[in-house]
Amino acid sequence: MENYVVDVKDLTIRFNLSSEKVDNLKEYAIKLVKKELMFQEFLALKGVSLQVKKGEAWGLVGTNGSGKSTLLKTISGILKPYKGTVTTKGKIAPLIELGAGFDGDLTARENIFLNGMVLGHSRKFMEEHFDEIVEFANLKRFLDSPIKNFSSGMKARLGFSVATMVDPDILIVDEVLEVGDFQFRRKCNERMRQMLSGGTTLLFVSHNTDTVKRLCDHALWLDNGVVRMAGPAEEVCDAYKEEQEAAIRARKEKRRAKLRKQGKKYDYLIVGAGLYGSVFARELTRSGKRCLVIDKRDHIGGNIYTEDVDGIQVHKYGAHIFHTSNTEVWKYVNKLTEFNNYINSPVAVYKDELYNLPFNMNTFYKMWGLKKPQEVKEEIARQIADLNITDPQNLEEQALSLVGRDVYEKLVKGYTEKQWGRDCRDLPSFIIRRLPLRFTYDNNYFNDRYQGIPVGGYTNLAQKLLDNVDVMTGTDFFEYRKENSHMYDKVIYTGMIDEYFDYCLGHLEYRTVRFETERLEEENYQGNAVMNYTERQIPYTRIIEHKHFAPEEERETPKPFTVISREYPQEWKPGMEPYYPVNDEKNSRLYEQYLELAKKEKNVRFGGRLGSYRYYDMDKVIEAALKDAEEELGRR
Amino acid sequence: MNLFKYRIKTLLKYKDLIKELVSRDLKLKYRRSFLGYVWSVLNPLLIMIVLTLVFSQMFRRDIVNFPVYYLTGRTMYDFLKGSTTSAMKSVTGNAALLRKVYVPKYIFTLAKVTSAMVDMVFSLGAMVIVMVATRAPFHWTALLFPIVVIQVYIFCCGLGFFLAQLNVFFRDIQHIYAAVLTAWLYLTPIMYPIERLGETLTFIVKGLNPLYYYVAQFRDLIYYGQFPGPRVFWGGWLIAFVMLAIGVWSFQRSKDKFILYI
Repeated sequence: MENYVVDVKDLTIRFNLSSEKVDNLKEYAIKLVKKELMFQEFLALKGVSLQVKKGEAWGLVGTNGSGKSTLLKTISGILKPYKGTVTTKGKIAPLIELGAGFDGDLTARENIFLNGMVLGHSRKFMEEHFDEIVEFANLKRFLDSPIKNFSSGMKARLGFSVATMVDPDILIVDEVLEVGDFQFRRKCNERMRQMLSGGTTLLFVSHNTDTVKRLCDHALWLDNGVVRMAGPAEEVCDAYKEEQEAAIRARKEKRRAKLRKQGKKYDYLIVGAGLYGSVFARELTRSGKRCLVIDKRDHIGGNIYTEDVDGIQVHKYGAHIFHTSNTEVWKYVNKLTEFNNYINSPVAVYKDELYNLPFNMNTFYKMWGLKKPQEVKEEIARQIADLNITDPQNLEEQALSLVGRDVYEKLVKGYTEKQWGRDCRDLPSFIIRRLPLRFTYDNNYFNDRYQGIPVGGYTNLAQKLLDNVDVMTGTDFFEYRKENSHMYDKVIYTGMIDEYFDYCLGHLEYRTVRFETERLEEENYQGNAVMNYTERQIPYTRIIEHKHFAPEEERETPKPFTVISREYPQEWKPGMEPYYPVNDEKNSRLYEQYLELAKKEKNVRFGGRLGSYRYYDMDKVIEAALKDAEEELGRR
Repeated sequence: MNLFKYRIKTLLKYKDLIKELVSRDLKLKYRRSFLGYVWSVLNPLLIMIVLTLVFSQMFRRDIVNFPVYYLTGRTMYDFLKGSTTSAMKSVTGNAALLRKVYVPKYIFTLAKVTSAMVDMVFSLGAMVIVMVATRAPFHWTALLFPIVVIQVYIFCCGLGFFLAQLNVFFRDIQHIYAAVLTAWLYLTPIMYPIERLGETLTFIVKGLNPLYYYVAQFRDLIYYGQFPGPRVFWGGWLIAFVMLAIGVWSFQRSKDKFILYI
């Protein structure tokens, strides 16, 4: 009982909200005479209790106006309780809103002192910590310029440094950390974590439940001034988020119902909430078209969907690494969500040997002990010449003539055979046109200019794309069409093109993989996101360890468990998840025939990986969707 | 008694903040103006010259050295006006900060009055210049001027507290107070000798105008070179503390409600 650093008991806060704000004497006098001076009582908090022990980190969640800030203000002593008690122990440092407490005309140096003293420190104390603060804020060069010339990020940095450098017992943070650049945010997070482990108690308000989950161990959910739930951060945040989402869904549903009642309909029905459909929907909606996106899966995002498993973003439909050289596309996605700087450098496992991929000097050094590019080139040329293949008849001969025997045997053969379920000698040579060899020590798998994975997973990206779009998941197009064909004018179809025509010309073929996903109670299973198993005897081709796709988050909040997925190639049969179109002659011809049918179809546009039966990288899908949307809007 | 001790403790805790706020005010006032400190001296001097041209003709027989007579009164009045006007806005002006951090609110009011006082002491330079220029005699009693300054300071703190809290609830107090200040200026014997007011008005001013007490004392020390009479001296102290009591009481009473109105 005596251990509580913050002890809030049955706290009620009352505001007198006058129906009109009277803040001058004249009006007051008039209202007084007319007897119109009515005050409306408003309880911002009703019987709230909160007990925080030393060193705990509490996140406060709730909608706007739920009383989060009021509670923090009462704890910091700004507001006085109407009923109930608030007792705190130790020094409280509130992280002040941007710029409040700073005087624009004063220099950074002067403001540091002023700010520190506002927080109740003595001049001597501030002098002792001055260098530390400047160091952390990283503003040494600007110490003597007036703070009004600072950017908001710089001010935030300064504010954070002053508030946290002095090791408060209780740190109060009210949604101010969402500014500043990524690097500084990380620094803030590190600092907060350091303070937490040093015994500082944290009270944190944020709309972002992910941030709360990352920083806090406990959470309090306020709803209209009443405690809805208090307990472990995970549980409370999840419950809160669920209700928020349900509320949003309900709102959307209401809107849809209203539209239905008014007989209003959509301009577009977009079938498939994958990347193509979502980008398309966003672009059309932004141009004022009404769109409805439906997807037969019960989630959005299509194959890029990531599922949050206790903070690890699990790529449910295989590893997705965003890479592009298209600046426009990179800007487009970065405007929607933040990307980390993940660089894909897979490792191949062959028997008990490990090789870096793609084939580069690290690989060759491991294989032959050769260090100089020239030596490697000679070795490979020698191996190729020994084989003397002039006209490769199958994949094996093709690969051998490109990389020589060692690389082929160890790194290509087994993997390819597993992928296709057939012997390399029975595979056509055109599958592998080239096998890039890199004569540098560079393990970056992709050659693109930009690379990364959305912070918090791809679902964030999908969600952002569909922010203002009506979405119905768990809705099958062919079912929906039966009763609602009056609801839309045009269709953007991103499903399988042959399914649309009821397979009237036969099935297009796909390659597919099956994932076995497993949660392991160990911190780090394989030390890399992607490990390729190139031996034929091992049934899976790859093991994905999802946490390594977010190396920064893992560094910030190491988790004691991990999630891995084994990837098993499979013969595709109708009804299975279609992943990769097989662009061989037979299937290509069939697709051409379907395309002819599609052209005759009025008011339907086919797009995306399945709709246009081609393998797309994510950036290419976005490119295509943007282009098609422009075309649809008649801008091209 | 415990509460009193606690109050003193918080005041001590925040004394550096007061210092910092005062030095901020002064820095900002003098830093970026071209003439800096000179303004503090120049401003009263210029007004004094104009007024001297006009009034020294009018009161030729009553006032021996009009410039010094005028400045002794004007300094007191300017201090009162400057300190209370800025004190009035001290709480509302720091609203952004007060909404976020717990800081005793009176700190800001106190800082404003204090910086006005420092400013006033600076501007005494103008008076010294005028005294030298007009060959006015320097009296040893002039060295006692801090006695008056302290009284006015206490009085202004009290009035500042009162106005600061009132301004939170009624923003048009600022306009009303501006009118009051103008009236105050003319009802205080600054530009004219008090005897000129006639008997009833003199009686009223002497009885009800607190500023009269300070102007009279200040003038006694500097202009007349004599120790103030017991009536103005003790009266001045008494009024100062009564005003302080009113100010502190009204501020204390409503300070917890500030947050709802700023």
